[in-house]
Amino acid sequence: MAAQEYQAPESVSRVQQRALTIGGVALLVSILGAVRSPRDFYQSYLMSFLLILGLTVGSLGLVMLQHLTSGHWGIIIRRPLESATRVLPLMVVAFLPIAIFGMKHLYSGHGDEKGWLNAPPTGEGALSDFQKNYLTTSGFYTRAAIYFVVWLALMFIFNILSKQQDANPEDRALRLRFKMLAGPGIILYVFAMSFAAIDWAMSLSPHWASTIYGFLFVAGQLISSMSFMIAVVVLLARSEPFASVLQKRHLHDLGKLLLAFVMLWAYFDFSQLLIIWSGNQPEEISFYRTRLYGGWGVVAVIVLVFHFFVPFFLLLSQDVKRNSKVLPRIAIWLIFMRLVDLYWMTRPEFTSRAMPTWLDIVLPLALGGLWLGFFAFNLKQCPLLPLGDPDLAEAIEHHEH
Amino acid sequence: MMQHRSHIYGVIGEFGTPEELLHAVEKVREAGYRRFDAFAPFPVEGLSEALGLKRNLVPAITLFGGLAGGIGGFFFQYWAMAITYPLNIGGRPLNSWPAFIPVTFELAILGASLAAVFGMLALNKLPQPNHPVFNVHRFTHASSDRFFVCIESKDRKFDLAECARLLQEVHAHHITEVALD
Repeated sequence: MAAQEYQAPESVSRVQQRALTIGGVALLVSILGAVRSPRDFYQSYLMSFLLILGLTVGSLGLVMLQHLTSGHWGIIIRRPLESATRVLPLMVVAFLPIAIFGMKHLYSGHGDEKGWLNAPPTGEGALSDFQKNYLTTSGFYTRAAIYFVVWLALMFIFNILSKQQDANPEDRALRLRFKMLAGPGIILYVFAMSFAAIDWAMSLSPHWASTIYGFLFVAGQLISSMSFMIAVVVLLARSEPFASVLQKRHLHDLGKLLLAFVMLWAYFDFSQLLIIWSGNQPEEISFYRTRLYGGWGVVAVIVLVFHFFVPFFLLLSQDVKRNSKVLPRIAIWLIFMRLVDLYWMTRPEFTSRAMPTWLDIVLPLALGGLWLGFFAFNLKQCPLLPLGDPDLAEAIEHHEH
Repeated sequence: MMQHRSHIYGVIGEFGTPEELLHAVEKVREAGYRRFDAFAPFPVEGLSEALGLKRNLVPAITLFGGLAGGIGGFFFQYWAMAITYPLNIGGRPLNSWPAFIPVTFELAILGASLAAVFGMLALNKLPQPNHPVFNVHRFTHASSDRFFVCIESKDRKFDLAECARLLQEVHAHHITEVALD
């Protein structure tokens, strides 16, 4: 089980090159949009940023979940997960355009609706005292720095420890340390993400608040990250060394988790709707009044049917979860639906027209391409399996059936 | 031999290890028998495949139970709240479907789990207080340290002498006729 046996195959380099090319070209094209209509640009940019942020920190959450539960499913995808977390420096860079140029386009409201940046000090549309202290430019910057520091710290801890484990196989103490760190780490990740979701997305409509909002993002990130991992392991299994590692029972486990995350996301999303619908308070229902009628209502139905019902019923089947052709298609479809859901979560605050602009296609390609290229680069830096994990042999053992 | 056929359940052979059991099961299947069963004190890896067990109906029954529970749960609420006992609650529509969803969900889970448990029991023909193999004295070892293969007389190919010979060929320790009662 030497390290060189589990190097990433040639195809990863090809993916890296293509992804970076597509991402780079799309980014150049999108700059044209940034010059011509910065408002449209930053609306699409925020949505695309939130999608790739989900792939990154969602993977961080899954890494920690794997260390806590130590299932075989996680050993198979641990290196891809860690590679995804190491894209975090790109996320810091990708956040800068929002922080430096985009804020005034995003958080200044639209039309008569004022955002928190230009809310009147008194009278109608004024922020509450707490909001006046919380939603400030310096607060926005400080908190963003804290979120990234928390995520970066967790990313470094788990990647460095994992590298140490490669050198010291069978080290049980190291695994205990993983477990001890993973518990608090998950709490930190969820807290940081919850606040980040409030700062970056929920504050688009400063007068509306929902306590489960952060969890919607966390559950969505788990879906996108797990989906991406399913696609990655199936693609890796087209060539050695992963071809002889990946088994149907692994796909089955990953599929089961994906089903669980889809259900969790639907549960959170419906809880928010049910509570707001039951309360029926004017300041709370605004969220759904803009999103459930007209064109946005159509998008809402699309999200309900294709983000929940269709994947849910497909993933119920054992045959689908064990099928290495169908499962990755559902997974990639779910990543796309994550984008549609983020579109539905953020865009109605700016326009009542539920029509995507050309930037909504180019910017996800740009950020997604760069993200994928960076990920492929990271994947080549380490063996594809955590060679020092005490459970590795058991996780990749072939049973007779 | 044929006159015995109605009085016996089958022929049972005893084995000492799970490997011997797997080997015997494979041979019996290869010989063309279909109505036979294996007994072991613990789950033996690969035994279901060797026995040629097909996918069972439990998943389908569970899905049906879940759908019946969910659809029934929803329409029972709809029937109560909108048709038989309409109540104006805060001016909301009588068919307030968001409020029905939690109960619908719970009943779907209830229906699915009840269907799974009772479907499994029914497909296994349980509860079954007695079974002909219990007539074989040594069969008590099936719960502790011995493995058994029983070829049933219902099998179209069944012939007492032929089955006994086959079991002998795969090195069964004790070969016994299983009386029906």
